Amino acid sequence: MSESAVLQAGVKPPAWIVDRFVVLTALAGLGVLGGLIWLETAPFMVALFAIGTVLGMALYHGAFGFTAGWRNLVLKKRGAGMRAQLMLFALSSLIMVPMLYSGQAGLVGAVAPVGTSLVVGSFMFGIGMQLGGGCGSGTLFTVGAGNIRMVVTLVFFIAGAVLGSIHLPWWLDQPGFDPVPLVNTFGVSGAIIVQLLGLGLIARWVNRVELKAHGTLERNELLWKGQEHGVLRTLISGRWPFTWAILILAAGNALTLGIGGSPWSVTFAFNVWGAKALEAVGVNMSQFEFWQWDYPAMALKDSLLTNIPSVMNFGLLLGAMLAAGLANRFNEASRNRPQRRPLLAAVVGGLLLGYGARLGFGCNIGALFSGISSASLHAWIWFACAFAGSLIGIRLRPWFRLPD
Amino acid sequence: MDKAYSRGRILIMLGVILALILVDHLNSPTFAFNSGQGNVQTALTQRDESACAPCGAPCPSTRN
Repeated sequence: MSESAVLQAGVKPPAWIVDRFVVLTALAGLGVLGGLIWLETAPFMVALFAIGTVLGMALYHGAFGFTAGWRNLVLKKRGAGMRAQLMLFALSSLIMVPMLYSGQAGLVGAVAPVGTSLVVGSFMFGIGMQLGGGCGSGTLFTVGAGNIRMVVTLVFFIAGAVLGSIHLPWWLDQPGFDPVPLVNTFGVSGAIIVQLLGLGLIARWVNRVELKAHGTLERNELLWKGQEHGVLRTLISGRWPFTWAILILAAGNALTLGIGGSPWSVTFAFNVWGAKALEAVGVNMSQFEFWQWDYPAMALKDSLLTNIPSVMNFGLLLGAMLAAGLANRFNEASRNRPQRRPLLAAVVGGLLLGYGARLGFGCNIGALFSGISSASLHAWIWFACAFAGSLIGIRLRPWFRLPD
Repeated sequence: MDKAYSRGRILIMLGVILALILVDHLNSPTFAFNSGQGNVQTALTQRDESACAPCGAPCPSTRN
């Protein structure tokens, strides 16, 4: 019921409670870090930091979790989350593929090699998603919202990512071939049409699964329907219909490409954070081939404030914290002390996520979302393999006493 | 309703993260460059467009 309907019925609307401490702390964090980035780097990095913040808020308020969307389809035969993801990929494909191939200098798509590394990595990532409780962005926004179990997942995500970076050169030497941009085969319009057809076929399958199980499709989560509060209050304190999150996430990725020169990615930052931590305790990361390649070597040597994925991740964490404070739900998921087996799942899942993300050239954001937005074949293979891995992860969840 | 968190712990956690970012930055080429030291290569405008993946991995075809 909307606020106006509540007032008409003569019932007092529920009080709007904001967690002032969390909101003020998040705003202070955004101000301090944003100011530091402004002073020490360049204005475009501040813009990317702000985009990361908005993306964090959108992920939290939209409850836009890739992991739960896949699990709901498999276990509950509900497809709203999966359909929202497919719509996001379709929209961003329509926006970003023409941008990337418009001939504008300095824009690089999220393309990656296709081979053993990609297949193994994305499959492992899929298992890790269900055990760890989130993907790359999901882990970050839940950590920002104060979920303690997800902090454990993040720590082992970072550890797995560093291990994966050490092993990646070996995996690259296994059978595989160079990136396959669909635009090279089909042209810009053709690649977009092929991708829309692919997404449409998946959506049709999702709908069939849901209709067969329930007889109807769940649409309320997608549209502005049956919201408890008015538009402004919902915008500030959630929960958003999926459509809002889709629009913000698609615009955020396109802006990231336009401003930063490459699409949104999350997990490369985890590699850098882990490698810097190891260097701080005396490990020479430059002995490993991965850290001798130009981009990782430069990222390792220079400030985190110059590394786009790191800066956006900082914004995402604080944005999710701000959103959780505005919704008065900060740390709500961690009221009960985590049990042993769910914590073990966070450890195992985190390691699989990190290792898998490095071998698979990213997570649901960098490899899947940005990959499809760049019309790269590797993203589709990543999608299939991660979903297959996710099926195994879902089967393993009961042993770890994780809820459906 | 009771808070599900400790304010002190949150401030300490965020303070530690900020301190780590600062220490990392103060030891970086970018900070050296901003402090007036020349001849340092910073990552700010560096992007490896020749790489085969967003993480900077080379193409399989270029590997021996």
